Amino acid sequence: VLRLKVAWYGRGWNLTSRYAGVRESQQALGAMDVHSEQLTLQDPRAVLSLLEADQVVAAKRRTHFGRKNLSVGTRVLLWCLRVYVVAMFVIVAISVVQAIRSAH
Amino acid sequence: MDGLDKNPNMRNSQTAHPTTESAVESAAAPELIGLLTHEDVDRARDRWEVAQARGKGRSKSFGGLRLLWLLVGPGVLVFLGENDAPSMLSYSADGSRYGIGFFIPFVVLTFLMGFIVQEMTVRLGAVTHRGHAELIFDRFGRFWGFFAMGDLILGNFLTLVTEFIGVRAGLGFFGIRPAIAVGGALVIVAGAITTGRYWTWERITLSLAIFNGLFIPAAILARPDWHAVGHAMLTWMPLPTGGRYQILLLILATIGATVTPWMLFFQQSAVVDKGMQPRDINAGRFDTFLGALLASVFAIAAILATVPLFHHGINAADFQAAQFAEALEPLIGHAGAALFALGIFEAGIVAAIAISTSSAYAFGEVFQTGHSLNRPFREAWPFYLTLLGSASAAAALVLIPKFPLEFVVLTVNVIAVLAMPPALAFLLLLVNDREVMGQHVNGFWTNLAGITVTVLLICAGLGFGIATVFPKWLGG
Repeated sequence: VLRLKVAWYGRGWNLTSRYAGVRESQQALGAMDVHSEQLTLQDPRAVLSLLEADQVVAAKRRTHFGRKNLSVGTRVLLWCLRVYVVAMFVIVAISVVQAIRSAH
Repeated sequence: MDGLDKNPNMRNSQTAHPTTESAVESAAAPELIGLLTHEDVDRARDRWEVAQARGKGRSKSFGGLRLLWLLVGPGVLVFLGENDAPSMLSYSADGSRYGIGFFIPFVVLTFLMGFIVQEMTVRLGAVTHRGHAELIFDRFGRFWGFFAMGDLILGNFLTLVTEFIGVRAGLGFFGIRPAIAVGGALVIVAGAITTGRYWTWERITLSLAIFNGLFIPAAILARPDWHAVGHAMLTWMPLPTGGRYQILLLILATIGATVTPWMLFFQQSAVVDKGMQPRDINAGRFDTFLGALLASVFAIAAILATVPLFHHGINAADFQAAQFAEALEPLIGHAGAALFALGIFEAGIVAAIAISTSSAYAFGEVFQTGHSLNRPFREAWPFYLTLLGSASAAAALVLIPKFPLEFVVLTVNVIAVLAMPPALAFLLLLVNDREVMGQHVNGFWTNLAGITVTVLLICAGLGFGIATVFPKWLGG
């Protein structure tokens, strides 16, 4: 069970999520009115109502966008850009050496 | 780090897909309810404020303004962060060497390019809730992921060094010792992250970033010829004259002052950390536009502030920050020069905060450790240590006697431009990926604009390469 203790400095009160890990509420999860000023974030259902499904850290941990199948054209493009960057960095190094030599 | 890593239910990887479904209505809700973290609760608190403002927005006229106030942040920060010390020095070099002319509309064009690119990161972050580095690793694998990260880390570190050079030089104008200036800047960087809250960090950094506007009073004190400014905006004239290699280098540095890889990584991660959702994309666009607008105005102000050096024939070819301020003092007065020096200091400190955070976000995303400013130190210490470690290492380099600081400043913007095309290629591939973006994929015009920016950057880079290897071709 993950215990949460959140200090909300702005309003000077502490929130302890006593609901974290509560199993009895699992059967009846319904969306809450997120526009309500009476909403309390001590209730994890409120937290889940405010976040999108893949916005919760735990959900993001187990879902991944899988590897994309790169076409030949895309691979060629990426390799060309790789070569371009390496070549340009070499040229930058040359220009820096030239600048240092001329400075001395 | 946190309990999620030890939870067997979290080890089974599933395929993600774009969704706007509320977490409470998802099939995984019963499981998630026991796995909420600090980060989730803090993010939900931010979303609650947004939901309330959105509710009031329908009934009260100020509700819309409150909504914008809540959602503005990453875009303004990224652009004012990119108006960093080397960028402001590039703009100052434009003004002092070529006066009012080509570079004023050119700066506006570069910020337009920046807006086109950064808008895509808003959509990516809001739709996927993933950072840029994480998405590149997910979709293209480790090989291409580390390729992108290599460019980012090198560029970020060199840029961070230049930020502390700016801090040192800016405060040096007031006689503050380098060690005190750089140490103080590090304390500010550390102080901003001790809140353990993204929202607080963002507001602190925004309140510092707005001082980028110090260049406006400095420009006014320089008494610019507004008629010439208007003429330059409309006609792009007069064109810069003289050594073509120097002009090309300055054009490249000016582009590098506006569009750089760290901005892509930073804004997407900040959008995710802020908890933005697809319904916030328009507000994110406004935020990005506002950032680009403010940054372009402040950049033009930096050009105008240094134009008196051009009119008095002062050679500013090798000027650094403090030298610009010192040279300006007899021309625009002590107040103007002091504002200029303070502006350089501010530019350095805000960028140091933003760039070190960008590196830390990318590190956390790649190595799958906690990477949110909403997490306390004990839950995300690798993230915070990366942030502080990169800033500390850059600060330490600046204090090494006889370290060739001027060469770092000279090359950092150029490296940023050269590293940008591959970063843009990854961005365009991701933002056209329907499996990732769903209905929010790029349209024809956004693709055309993005590809145009990429081709322009490649041409600028190739021009620089040719001019360096074959200087006689450009009369160098």
